[in-house]
Amino acid sequence: MALAFERRLTRHWGDPEVVGLDGYLARGGYEGLRRAVSMTPEEIVEAVKASGLRGRGGAGFPTGMKWGFVPRDTGKPTYVVVNFDESEPGTCNNRELVEREPHRLLEGTAIAALAIGCTTAFIYVRGEYLWQALVLERAIREAYGGGFLGPRIAGSDRTVDIVVHRGAGAYICGEETALLNSLEGLRGQPRLRPPFPAVEGLYACPTVVNNVETLMNVPDIIVRGPEWFRELGTDKSPGTKMVTISGKVERPGNYEVPLGTPFRTVLEELAGGVLGGRALKAWTPGGSSTPLLTAEHVDIPLDYESLAAAGSMLGTAAIMVMDETDCIVDAAARMVRFYAVESCGKCTPCREGGWWATRVLDRLEAGFGRADDLPVVRDLGRNILFRAFCALADGTASVITSSLRHFADEYEEHVRLGRCPLGVPHLEEVAS
Amino acid sequence: MTDEPVTLTIDGKEITVPAQTLIIRAAEQLGIEIPRFCDHPFLEPAGACRQCYVEIEGQPKLATSCTVRVAPGMVVRTQETSELAREAQVANLEFLLLNHPLDCPVCDRGGECPLQDQALAFGPGESRYREAKRVYEKPIPLSPLVNLDRERCVLCARCTRFCDEISGDRFIELFERGAGERVSIAAGEDFRSPFSGNTIQICPVGALTSETYRFVARPFDLTSADGVCPHCSAGCNLRVDVRRGQVVRHLARDNAEVNDAWTCDKGRFAFRYPDDPARITTPLLRDRGLEPASFGEVLGWVADRCVGSRVAFLTGGRLLDEDYYALSKLARTVVGTNDLDHRRHEGGAVEVWAASRPMSVAYADVERAPAVLVVGLDAEQEVPILHLRLRKAARKGARITVVHPRRTRLHDVAAHVLCRPGEEASLLREAVRGAGPLASVVEELGAAGGAGVVLAGERCSSAGAEAALALARTAGARFGYVVRRANDRGALRAGVHPRLLPGGRAVDDPAGRAALAPLWGDALPSTPGRGRRAILEAAAAGELDVLFLIGIDPLTDLPDGALARRALENVPVKVVQSLELGDLEPFADAFLPAAAPVEKAGHVTTWEGRRQRVEPVRGPVGLSRPDWEILAGLAAAMGGDLGFETLDQLDAELERVLEAGLGTPDAGAVEPFVGPDPRGGEEAPTAADPGSLLLFTYPLLVDEGRLSARADELKAALQDPAFVEVHPDDAARLGLAEGAAALVTTEAGRAEVPVRLNEHLAPGTAFVPFNNPGLVAGTLLAGSFWIPAGLEPATVSRAREASA
Repeated sequence: MALAFERRLTRHWGDPEVVGLDGYLARGGYEGLRRAVSMTPEEIVEAVKASGLRGRGGAGFPTGMKWGFVPRDTGKPTYVVVNFDESEPGTCNNRELVEREPHRLLEGTAIAALAIGCTTAFIYVRGEYLWQALVLERAIREAYGGGFLGPRIAGSDRTVDIVVHRGAGAYICGEETALLNSLEGLRGQPRLRPPFPAVEGLYACPTVVNNVETLMNVPDIIVRGPEWFRELGTDKSPGTKMVTISGKVERPGNYEVPLGTPFRTVLEELAGGVLGGRALKAWTPGGSSTPLLTAEHVDIPLDYESLAAAGSMLGTAAIMVMDETDCIVDAAARMVRFYAVESCGKCTPCREGGWWATRVLDRLEAGFGRADDLPVVRDLGRNILFRAFCALADGTASVITSSLRHFADEYEEHVRLGRCPLGVPHLEEVAS
Repeated sequence: MTDEPVTLTIDGKEITVPAQTLIIRAAEQLGIEIPRFCDHPFLEPAGACRQCYVEIEGQPKLATSCTVRVAPGMVVRTQETSELAREAQVANLEFLLLNHPLDCPVCDRGGECPLQDQALAFGPGESRYREAKRVYEKPIPLSPLVNLDRERCVLCARCTRFCDEISGDRFIELFERGAGERVSIAAGEDFRSPFSGNTIQICPVGALTSETYRFVARPFDLTSADGVCPHCSAGCNLRVDVRRGQVVRHLARDNAEVNDAWTCDKGRFAFRYPDDPARITTPLLRDRGLEPASFGEVLGWVADRCVGSRVAFLTGGRLLDEDYYALSKLARTVVGTNDLDHRRHEGGAVEVWAASRPMSVAYADVERAPAVLVVGLDAEQEVPILHLRLRKAARKGARITVVHPRRTRLHDVAAHVLCRPGEEASLLREAVRGAGPLASVVEELGAAGGAGVVLAGERCSSAGAEAALALARTAGARFGYVVRRANDRGALRAGVHPRLLPGGRAVDDPAGRAALAPLWGDALPSTPGRGRRAILEAAAAGELDVLFLIGIDPLTDLPDGALARRALENVPVKVVQSLELGDLEPFADAFLPAAAPVEKAGHVTTWEGRRQRVEPVRGPVGLSRPDWEILAGLAAAMGGDLGFETLDQLDAELERVLEAGLGTPDAGAVEPFVGPDPRGGEEAPTAADPGSLLLFTYPLLVDEGRLSARADELKAALQDPAFVEVHPDDAARLGLAEGAAALVTTEAGRAEVPVRLNEHLAPGTAFVPFNNPGLVAGTLLAGSFWIPAGLEPATVSRAREASA
């Protein structure tokens, strides 16, 4: 299937002018905000609901519904918080979206603010994204100068201020309640829910937390309408999705595809196939926290429902491709190590389970595995999955359970041979 | 959200509980114990340890029962009926034990450790963990009281949540993340919270251990009894642990009506006084060179000197209700005098209120109050558990206002109005008229519809306390009089007071005497007696023959150090009844050894007026006896009869007097009266001399008090040497600098102490702690707890003396 469609989020990519306010305005920028200031908040929420836009941060929750949950009568301020803590291994599309067209994020954020009656929005930027934070700061200055932020935005009587806050380098702060804690200056650890952020979020006020890509879809929805938005994608997963493909492919990078595009199309047409023409062994559909899939899943459409049916998740649509020369135990050890290191430490299964799994997997890959390690690894996956305080540990568990589900014999081979059958050097050897 | 009770099913058993109840609490009511570590009934849910998994029908994932609230029709299956929940709990315990050192044989917590107990009850038989364990340097002293072993820690965050939610003293925090997460404290800081010991008690493992109990005992070595803390009027319920006859530990006992699950560090760590080597456990007679004598001999000797003599009784605030009742009855019915007193401060008419109206404000009322006015009380230092309850009220949204000369530790949750000591009365009267800084507080209290609370500390003088009572009445708020010492309120109730009989009846009220007549006879002395100061003055003037000092040292306990010394020098017979002689050794003519609080059964009355039963953990040491028994023996030796020979008989009579309302005057009868000590009731003098400040003092929590004897770790953690606190503006005017020595001169004496600047001190005042090392503040006072004082740099005074 040849991929032909009108690009949306990436339509100005390659056009350096669109980074600045003038270039953005010349290409129709801030038209959504101009229209939104003359709409009621309910009309904005309705438009987003009708578009079927779903959160692009991983969970896929309907955005309009999320905005609709925000109570308007509490007497407290409301907040929009943009989750730009893009940290999932293999994921870097938010980064490129912001670098290339920062005003689109500001516009989407301002529209969201209008929708929930918020006057101060925060953009929480991943600590490592220094350059992107600078790009945003500059765009914000321009937007204030152009009257699109601050008091009386776009000629209206509405006020929207945007504050950029940089994180300090913790993966967990992409979890929305940990993000809110971090934004408040507290330890970046997830909060108990309920209360949900929509009711008691930032500073215990009603708060909407949205992903960068989600909000960048909003201006077009306002300008061109929900029906236009639904022209691409599937009925339950409308619109396009940014896909980050990396690993053993010819042309890694960020690509925009309509939701529902088969993985094969992305791999072969966009990414140029597996590197060196080798055979596909395994791939993650949505970052390292989503369960691994194999070559037999290559025709799966990339949308929320199809991947769930295949036992995985769309996640952030960060596809990492492994070929026949890659060792699954090595990959699992590396990924689990990431989640163990990034565990916030709050709850037992994540903190201790990740610690244990890292040690056992490292030992297996290094050739010191024992037969009775395999049931331990299997139990670790089972005992961590869905048992932790937040979803971080489900990443740890998914790596373990999915790699065992599809590649149990490779684990056994490591034990039987007392070494990695593929001869992949162990992580610690690489480090030294 | 509806508040209707919710019916749900747990393990097939139906139960109805209030809405918002956590599943784990509902299960407890059914007698189902779900294992848990981070959950604590007095802390907010955390969901951190993940031990309490249950299965909820219709939910795909296991739930933590400590975070999920009940819902109508919910069907819950615990480890008792759900294999899935049981397996998850076993797996989680396996996780928790991965890095645990399993050093139970050398751990203080061994034998009473939730981790040990639950690992045994619910855990896997053996570990499959073959890797190296996490190691840390240990133990790390967080303070002279608290040690931290990070290897044993299961990171449940009970300790950090306690400091965050309950005490507000956020010294410790979780640092780092992942498997490296650990409890820690900022470099160079001490865990300097007067509530630090609670973190030890709620630690579900042996990660936080107490310096005083380190390697001291095993649970099976201990004999325990239910006690009530002898230190302040908070009335914390304690478990007193004794090993081979020695008190080795105090633990807080849960009582949601009083102390929740907490006690302060003084209550927890100042427990060695009953075993102090200075304690004397045999009667002594001066005639024999203060050599041991029998009780019969000493009582006979004392009785001979009391019959037909001018006798007065001074006592403190730490005896039991029964002791006070016996004293009150002995003085009136056998000795025939109203010259008896227990007070340090005089509350005027409010004392009648306190003696006759128990529980006008209880802890629960404080917690529920939408608005609270606190006058003349530094709750953290004086009644720490009341401080915690005030903080709890603040967390629930109460507006708290504190009127006090120094900012208190409630500063982060309460508004403070700094006033000069003695100025409370005029501020409060002004507020009643709708003026001044407290006018809005009267409105808040009024708006609370009877749920507002006014708390007057005993230090705000009789005029201040009466004005606070009047304000409470104007605003329709509840009124509580907060006395400081453990049983001041019980002494007041029992009539250890020159003007009041038990229950608050005045001695000169014929109806009050008549009401007592069936039990006390009809020959009660009817003229008001001498109060604390008048007794000392009479003694100093040679107008007394016998002075009883029962559980009191007037040289250090009272604000009349010099007068007390003259009194002791001029009374022919001084009878000391106490745990020890201490400073009184040169003066005592007879010594009667009293039993320590941990050796007595009876009751103590909290500041609220709540009577709580205490049980002895051991018998009286040596020949020492409970005070009431000694007093009953003295009555007999004098040919009288108190009418009871056993504690049960005494209690029955006391309850008849107190609870049958025998001595209770009617509610309208509280009229201001002039106290027998006019100085106590007066407004503070304004300092005429611009070079002088109004010096005021009160005991800080941890001081040199007798019951803190040998509490060395506590003192190392929380006690400072004496200091004088001055407002920076006054300091600048007087040439005083932080840390430099100041010479403090009053009409009663002088002392040299280092200066501390405190911008949150009422200007024109100076504060010294009452009894910290280096200064017995009573030596600077002349009958009242405030006095005009001249302050100047010690260097200036030395230079002047050198040139003179």
